[in-house]
Amino acid sequence: MDFLIHHMLGASARRLPEKEALVHGGQRLAYAEVARRVGGLAHGLREAGIERGDRIGIYLDASVPQALSMFAVSQAGGVYVPVNGLLYPDQVAYIARDCGMKALVTTPEKLGPLAEALKEVPSLEFLVLVGSSGLIDVPLAVHDFEALCGLTPPAPWPEPTIEKDLAAILYTSGSTGKPKGVMLSHAQVVAGSSIVSTYLRISDQDRILAVLPFSFDAGMNQLMTAFQQGATLILINFVFTREVVQTLLRERVTGLAGVPTFWSLLSQPTSGLQKQPLPHLRYITNTGGAMPQPVLATLRSALPSTEIFLMYGLTEAFRSTYLPPAELDRRPTSMGKAIPNTEIMVVNEEGKLCKPGEVGELVHRGPTVSMGYWGHPELTARVLRPNPLLPPEIADVVCYSGDYVKMDEDGYLYFVGRRDTMIKSSGFRISPTEIEEVLFRSGRLKGAAVIGVPDEMLGQTIKAFVVARDGEHVDAAQLREFCAASMPRHMVPKAIEALDELPKTPSGKVDYPALRRREGL
Amino acid sequence: MSQPPITDRIKQFLVEHFPSARKHPLAEDEHLLANGIVDSLGILDLVAYLEREFAITITDEDLVPEHFESLSRMAKFVQDRMSVSSH
Repeated sequence: MDFLIHHMLGASARRLPEKEALVHGGQRLAYAEVARRVGGLAHGLREAGIERGDRIGIYLDASVPQALSMFAVSQAGGVYVPVNGLLYPDQVAYIARDCGMKALVTTPEKLGPLAEALKEVPSLEFLVLVGSSGLIDVPLAVHDFEALCGLTPPAPWPEPTIEKDLAAILYTSGSTGKPKGVMLSHAQVVAGSSIVSTYLRISDQDRILAVLPFSFDAGMNQLMTAFQQGATLILINFVFTREVVQTLLRERVTGLAGVPTFWSLLSQPTSGLQKQPLPHLRYITNTGGAMPQPVLATLRSALPSTEIFLMYGLTEAFRSTYLPPAELDRRPTSMGKAIPNTEIMVVNEEGKLCKPGEVGELVHRGPTVSMGYWGHPELTARVLRPNPLLPPEIADVVCYSGDYVKMDEDGYLYFVGRRDTMIKSSGFRISPTEIEEVLFRSGRLKGAAVIGVPDEMLGQTIKAFVVARDGEHVDAAQLREFCAASMPRHMVPKAIEALDELPKTPSGKVDYPALRRREGL
Repeated sequence: MSQPPITDRIKQFLVEHFPSARKHPLAEDEHLLANGIVDSLGILDLVAYLEREFAITITDEDLVPEHFESLSRMAKFVQDRMSVSSH
């Protein structure tokens, strides 16, 4: 019976041992090889001290070791925490402290700038390093990734884990500022794989190109669906979208998932997409925001035989809706309807179902609803709530998405807006509060408010309104430079405007709607 | 007045526009793409800057990592294109 994440790999390795599982540049690994190395690494992690439920960070760029680590942590009985390779040392250390990380898998290059910040992570006991390590200034045990992969695990393999156990924590930006860890059980990840591979009809004939990071739920889902179905997953690190198009062609890729910014880049003439028929490409999927209509039109004309699936999901419920390609002409702006084995309700403030056309909150019920936020029961209780449509005698938990939507007469959903002020830029969920905090740290401001401004390429760009402290002068360029030194590129405000004061609501809070109106939004 | 060398002008642009380029002094042969200093969005800004600043044309075929992977590679690429357009 396959009920844990690594069982999906095990089943495919038994069924298709010689089948290509992972491709990265010149590396090609068959399923049997992947399973063997994952087994060795799992054993190595247990020998190094990993016990059931321990959190293990994976701070790597897209690579074979990154994929192997996730399955090995699962097999060891631990909880994997994929950390986006683009995050800064302080952000990585924050995540490590927040989840009480016991071990971290990374490279010597990434460890260098991180070593100092890791001293503030008391729970951390050991490192697993991918690649040769010189002198490393950390008071931690260090294990070599390749050496662990080469170990032979004992048979039978003791496995106390059950599907209800925590399997992964995915960190996502929250409205309160610091990133929050969304907890997923084995059952939820496996259900997400079964559901998505059902409606995308993924089989062992598929070759899927992974451009989304595994720290993002849709990216992780690609890896899981591929291994569950015995498909081939191709990893890529790219800067030029030409490289993506060339890989699609060379590897005869059949499936590709992206976020709106990726599709905007890919539909630029420089990518070469329009010059190159891609007859193998069976489907593409979009998630993480609405695909701009001009981009959708370009993709449809460049990929006439490819099915386009528009999808919607939030990490807290993993995956929620998709628009069947056959509906694209009739409802190009729709986010679709519920994924299989899932119920999507539109609920008004009284907790009643909305009529067609009426705006309400999207509420998700199904097997992919997460276990909530790590270490934040009060925030979890706000998002995971009793089903408003069932009698209270039935303890049924649903996920309130915070997204306002409406449903048409046929049950298709349309996005209206975010309940809070979250910004979504180039696929990242960005919290205005986090950027405001950094602005304040410049020491020159008495007011700062950040909003998202629509942008065709990025989804939204960040605009900051600032008020100088008395006697201080605000230099926008200097302030941007200060932000750029403290935050990754996608969080740095594109525009900074100085105001004499910020508009306030009667209760004294910053009036964000007034700021948006100022921008004509 | 003579212009600063091409490498310095590109480095100045990177430091001004790419946060990670400021974390430590950039070496001329440092891998800007593999180290994530320049990403897939940033490369568009960088290409536009090179075309503008050095009055060169960068074709689709030029958009390969080899030309952009380090300051020294970029300077050489720019130099080559400048000599082509001056003929």
